[in-house]
Amino acid sequence: MDFSLEQSEVSLKEDIRGFAEQEIPHNWIVNFLDEESRDEDWAFSLSISRKLAQKGWLVMNWPKKYGGCDASWVKYTVFAMAAAYYGIPGLSMGVSGTGWIGPSLMLYGNEDQRQRYLPEIASGSPDGIWCTGYSEPNSGSDFASIKTRAVRQSGEYVVNGQKIWTSCAHRARWCWLAVKTGDSEARAQDSISILIVDMRSPGITVKPLLNYSGEHIFNEVFFDDVRVPLGNLVGEENRGWYQLMKSLVYERNSFGGQSYGTSKRILDSLVRYAGETCRAGKTIAKDPVIRHRLAENAVEIDILKMFLYEIAWKMDVGMAPLYESSRNKAMADHVLEKIALTGTEILGSSCQVAQRSKMARLNGLIQRQYLMFPGNAIAAGTDEIEKNIIGKFKLGLPRSY
Amino acid sequence: MDFNYTEQQLMLRSIARDFLSRECPRSAVRLLEKDEKGYDPVIWQRMAELGWLGLVLPEIYGGMEAGFMELVVLMEEIGRNILPGPYFATVALAALPVLEYGNEVQKSLYLPPIARGEKIWTLAAEEADAGSDFNAMITYACPDGDGYCLNGGKTFVPYAAAADYMLVPALVPSDKENGLTLFIVEPSLMGVKVELVPTLTGENLGSIRFRGVRLAEKDILGGLGRAEVIMENMLEKAGLLKCAEVSGACQAVLDMSSAYAQERVQFGHPIGAFQTIQHRLVDMLTSVEGLKYLVYQAAWLMSVGLPCSEQVAMAKVKANDVYQNVALAGVKIHGAIGFSQDHDIGLYYRRALASRFFPYSNDHYLEKIAGHIGL
Repeated sequence: MDFSLEQSEVSLKEDIRGFAEQEIPHNWIVNFLDEESRDEDWAFSLSISRKLAQKGWLVMNWPKKYGGCDASWVKYTVFAMAAAYYGIPGLSMGVSGTGWIGPSLMLYGNEDQRQRYLPEIASGSPDGIWCTGYSEPNSGSDFASIKTRAVRQSGEYVVNGQKIWTSCAHRARWCWLAVKTGDSEARAQDSISILIVDMRSPGITVKPLLNYSGEHIFNEVFFDDVRVPLGNLVGEENRGWYQLMKSLVYERNSFGGQSYGTSKRILDSLVRYAGETCRAGKTIAKDPVIRHRLAENAVEIDILKMFLYEIAWKMDVGMAPLYESSRNKAMADHVLEKIALTGTEILGSSCQVAQRSKMARLNGLIQRQYLMFPGNAIAAGTDEIEKNIIGKFKLGLPRSY
Repeated sequence: MDFNYTEQQLMLRSIARDFLSRECPRSAVRLLEKDEKGYDPVIWQRMAELGWLGLVLPEIYGGMEAGFMELVVLMEEIGRNILPGPYFATVALAALPVLEYGNEVQKSLYLPPIARGEKIWTLAAEEADAGSDFNAMITYACPDGDGYCLNGGKTFVPYAAAADYMLVPALVPSDKENGLTLFIVEPSLMGVKVELVPTLTGENLGSIRFRGVRLAEKDILGGLGRAEVIMENMLEKAGLLKCAEVSGACQAVLDMSSAYAQERVQFGHPIGAFQTIQHRLVDMLTSVEGLKYLVYQAAWLMSVGLPCSEQVAMAKVKANDVYQNVALAGVKIHGAIGFSQDHDIGLYYRRALASRFFPYSNDHYLEKIAGHIGL
């Protein structure tokens, strides 16, 4: 065993710090899921995506021929952790070109599709922004029950149906869409396909759905006789469910590095805040309750780090992750929740002040996280679904649902 | 980055797992809880033959010269099987500090018999009214002629009744200040009285009285007034090895509970099909894996000589909580049978209480982490 980082990985962290100091305003605190809400935030995020691409960081772990740098998963994890720590936006190319649509195309797409779509993502171009159409009004955790259907008609697919909770649909150029293609007698899992859909196609309507803090992150997306070329099928028809089960490994894992960086940033900020804040004549950093709470968070955050390195190393040596990304997703959610709640306890009533208010402490970091962590914990599989997966695939327990 | 075990570590683990399950079944564990010395000399001798007692000692002292990581792997297996006996006391609490701080005479005198399985050691540090607070200790070694005269008492001493030697921190009064000094003491000396402390955890502990015990200059380990520094260092290593032992035990509890959840049928289904049980097992798994990696991280840092006291503290905080939570969840998943004497799970639940406070409880380590993160 050897848990050291290579010299290039250590210096990458430094480079990212330098990049952030130069490019990111000091009052910039936006979570990686809400950069698509306000137009000015979005424009700024896109400009950073472009710069990250020019640095060779955006998709550094992709092969060179698709715009990457052939970097290891470990190095990419170092990047994702540090980028989130320094609050760098624009890492995902929608939801998410870098996280799973790119990796899935490399797994299941044909060469034409890879050549067509991967460089757009890799270059940080607005045409490389994706959204993911999985959830439907009556198909959340029970994904296989989706109803949106694609029918072959005169050399095209014709898509009808509705998706919901589609993050970034209002910004995306492309949709990674799960549809029913099999006949109605087929097993649900054997009748799903993945299509690449141009979001500018006639028949697509995107309606905003605001979240509880009033931000526009997700949407309803309606498909009315949307025509999609047959060549936009990814992988095999009716094998989409099986493809997705594998590519969800990437989706779930892709949140981990960012969750780690965000949590570590909050921890360090709270430590600094505790050292600067006086109550009853001494700093609250001397209060044993606060010391222990923050120390407990440090332990959990360090475990997340080890989990992330473990799965990255496994992918680097060619071991296919099975349950690990579900474990990491659940752990990341737990860590984000714990540090956000610890933060509210330490800030007290000031944590309810609007994020951009002058009265907000720590730049609104804590309230931001308090609002965002429940969403993170639902996206890409709820805690309960992740635990079902771990129970079945790692512990070999019977299906529980 | 490399999460692989070496060939040597995998071999050691597989041999240890086979040996321990064959030679020390849990029925033997139960019997030995009632034994005054708390270990089986036959198993002990076999362990010496396997090279375990001198695993990390240099060859010149009869050791195998394996690394700290190998010792961690072995401690995991010992914890997994709850091997009763003074292995941890002899190796972690004595052989390692003697190797690190002993002079050449002491090392050649004391280490080879440890490696051969002939001598058992322990650490007698805690005092009834001082806990692990060095400043409150009242065991004194007063200069007396050309030596020292030891008076006082220690308690919660692991395997006190089995030990041939013990390391004893005692205060040596001097002109300047009390200098806490580590002495090598033979319990067979005049004035030493050992008494068993009955425990409910299955841990073999004793109390020791020292009344006018004559010690010599040569019995000092690491120099006059050096005990605090030595203890800090040795308890960091020993604390981490304790975490490895706990990590192995937690894995065993998880394996047993997960297997039971698949075979126990209620309401027409294996109980592992119920989400309450399944998610409880998954929480156990995540915490056990988290503990394992914190232990490996700290052990790797230690083995390459990098600072690791923050990471050791993290591992110990996690070890304390995970063992208790996992053992409790294990008992609950087993239901009434888990609460019975005949079932193995209770052995772990009871021991979780013993390891929690050695060498220190969570408050001590959380305080340490708080310092490291900048508070």
